[in-house]
Amino acid sequence: MDQAAQIVIGGLIQGSVFALVALGFALVHRVTGVINLAQGGFCILGALGYQTLLAWGVLPWPLAAALAVLATALFGLAVGAVAFVPALSRLSNSSLLMLTAGLLIVIDGIALLAWGSQPYAVPPFSGEQPIALLGLDIPSQGLWLAGLCAAVSAATWWVLARTAPGRALLACADNATAAALVGIRLRRMRLASFAATAGIGAIGGIAVAPLMSLQFNDGHFFTNAGFIAVALGGMGSLVGAIAGGLFLGVAEQLAAGYVSGLFANALALSLLLLTLLWRPQGLFAGAARRRLDVREEVRADRRMLRFSGWSAAVVALAALLALAALPAVIDAGTLPSLVIALILFIAVLGLDVVMGYAGQVNLGQAGFMALGGYTAAILATAWGIPPLLGTLAGMAVAAIAAVLLSAVTLRLRGAYLALATLAFGLMVDSLVVGLPDLTGGPSGLVGIPSFAAFGVTFATPAAMYYLVLGLAAALVLLLAGGMRAGFGRALGAIRTDPLAAAALGINVARYKLAAIVICAVLGALAGSLYAFDFHYLGPEMVATPRSFELIAMLVLGGEGTLAGGLLGALLLTLLPLEVQALADDKVLVEGLVLVAVFLLAPAGLLGSLWPQRRIAILPEAAR
Amino acid sequence: MTALAVRHLGVTFGGLHAVSDVSFDVAEGSITALIGPNGAGKTTLFNLVTGVVRPSAGTVTLFGQPILGLRAEAIAGLGLLRTFQTARVFPGMTTRENLLAGAHLLLRHGALAQMLRLPAARREERILAERADALLELLGLARFADAAATELPMGAQKLVEVGRALMGRPRMLLLDEPAAGLNDSETAELSALLRAIRAAGITVLIVEHNMALVMESADQVAVLDAGTLIAHGTPEAVRAHPRVIEAYLGVAARQGAAA
Repeated sequence: MDQAAQIVIGGLIQGSVFALVALGFALVHRVTGVINLAQGGFCILGALGYQTLLAWGVLPWPLAAALAVLATALFGLAVGAVAFVPALSRLSNSSLLMLTAGLLIVIDGIALLAWGSQPYAVPPFSGEQPIALLGLDIPSQGLWLAGLCAAVSAATWWVLARTAPGRALLACADNATAAALVGIRLRRMRLASFAATAGIGAIGGIAVAPLMSLQFNDGHFFTNAGFIAVALGGMGSLVGAIAGGLFLGVAEQLAAGYVSGLFANALALSLLLLTLLWRPQGLFAGAARRRLDVREEVRADRRMLRFSGWSAAVVALAALLALAALPAVIDAGTLPSLVIALILFIAVLGLDVVMGYAGQVNLGQAGFMALGGYTAAILATAWGIPPLLGTLAGMAVAAIAAVLLSAVTLRLRGAYLALATLAFGLMVDSLVVGLPDLTGGPSGLVGIPSFAAFGVTFATPAAMYYLVLGLAAALVLLLAGGMRAGFGRALGAIRTDPLAAAALGINVARYKLAAIVICAVLGALAGSLYAFDFHYLGPEMVATPRSFELIAMLVLGGEGTLAGGLLGALLLTLLPLEVQALADDKVLVEGLVLVAVFLLAPAGLLGSLWPQRRIAILPEAAR
Repeated sequence: MTALAVRHLGVTFGGLHAVSDVSFDVAEGSITALIGPNGAGKTTLFNLVTGVVRPSAGTVTLFGQPILGLRAEAIAGLGLLRTFQTARVFPGMTTRENLLAGAHLLLRHGALAQMLRLPAARREERILAERADALLELLGLARFADAAATELPMGAQKLVEVGRALMGRPRMLLLDEPAAGLNDSETAELSALLRAIRAAGITVLIVEHNMALVMESADQVAVLDAGTLIAHGTPEAVRAHPRVIEAYLGVAARQGAAA
């Protein structure tokens, strides 16, 4: 009994920090309708800033903490003014989601430059001595954390419900246009909510810092947990967010205490997927009023990129010849990176089908890469199954996983869809680490043979290069054939207007399923090629950050262009290598590039560079 | 033969009877107009019949087959296609591509055949493109064929929707206020188009506020008011119906007198 109580207390303490992050999510979502994935980054900036101020040795901890919170809020204000708020009126919801993912990477990059990659620990606010309460030992910092969580929640509630600016903030959420018409300054309100959530994130990070050592990229951990918590509670509900955070904390601790620490994460994620299956709008009934599609209609994309006629064929052929000639002109040391860029391009191709054409967010593409890669690698190393068969088996496993995942995701849209796919990716991550007998765990699988098929072994980088180039070219050709015909039109119809699509007899569910299966199969193909090329497969090669990198490549090159992803894959793989000075700043550069592309060229590089036909529509009289 | 038979159809939205106990038939090959004041439940009726909204009561049969409870795409697959009150052309597609999207039900070759560019699949694409171009010509939209459909004037977008539905070779067509946003000469063209659609053997159910168009084109008129059917008959009979004059035309007459 004592043990159970101790575990629950631990869960509530951990849940308090999740709740604070979730509160930030809910606040921004309430005011802007957007899920801000940068939220967890504010925790890290707050915590590491606090550590630096404390290490200075002059300030008492409350002052250092207050300064760190203030600085983070100011940083949030700047980010909001430069990137987030201007983007709100220009980008589609899924692009906005990815913009915030880019902001999170920018924060990672800033933290890496400022604090390096080592973990930091800070002393508890009031000593190490645990406090005995009802026969239980409770770390004093846990009480601080829970207390701060309660105080911040109460303050947020008070501001929103009892003050004029708070009510104005809620008005922006309910109807932005009407709010603007009655004189509420929309931009200022959105900025204020963004800065406030940065401050709340910083408070959470500072309060939890003494309980766990933190490093530059731990923002992802907080973002993931907060995202799950806010979805459990119901998006847009502040009470739901806090309850969801506490619930998640307790569930994770119980799973860790009674089942296995390794699977705590996987269990929490299964819990989430089951919740979404059971109640797609979160646990708190009535809390999550469903927002109508009005916003999405306003931001619906107007992409009109067409590759047709001889010019496109000539450009494509020239590009293919140039790529084929590339190994002859570059130095041999670069070739392996080129192979990896092409392999990742195959995964990006799949992502383009599901995101660019079908308009379904997928934050779990690396999960499909992992399923394919590990299946093929395990079959090859432990069973001696030929690589080609193993690759096909991996693709089949990924396809089955995609069908299962669809049982959850087919009914979901927008942020919930993003979350469910993220949860899938994270679940694969924790299974990979948690099943060392099968996957080699954190140290990975070694001794994977070279790819071989039909009696040919692709052992050299050059051989792999031409194999992957041929595969990628064939896939582009294949997919382009479908996209310019009925398949592509059906996907385009369900992306922009599922209701009208169904009225034309298009089976929306079946096409969504087809898109995610294609995406999964190509992800798995890329994953196994990656393993055979590297002769090694480790968890970090196919973990969730990779999912975000793949999306960055897709968006950088241009969604809905197929070939554009190659530009993105080449740039993001080769740029950090080619410009040595950039190597340390890779994370920051990658994030900044992503954010800049979203803000300046939402259509991506290929989408912006390709000459677009504009057909002027003249009024009858002018003709 | 009866194309569409609606029996005791009803739906409630949070206590409000949006449509209650509505029964009527649409004869095959006819044009039936559904009229009524704003908020009478006309669009809700369309949404019920096409599977967008689930009914609380009643039955609907299409060419003898019960369709209530079927999903929207299944009902479309049985030959019932529709347009929307506010034009819902697909953004990111040209006018021609919008029409081709409407040909989805006719596709006989799947995604794989399209990807592999099998000759049969390419021939199918070519035939559909020719049909789309012919239809664009008929609708007077040929000059917009390669323009982004969302950039067209509103009236033209509504015609694109009609063309998109026609591409699917419907047996029955539901048009929701197709004349909204059209000027007088365009409305006259629409009236001719409606007769051409009927001549092609397609049954039409049309929601329309333009009385001149309704009286000129419709074989039968059904009048909805506050969710119930108050009259159903020939245009002449309906025009003379006292309840219709009270509920609908009477309002118009008073407005006319005031103006």
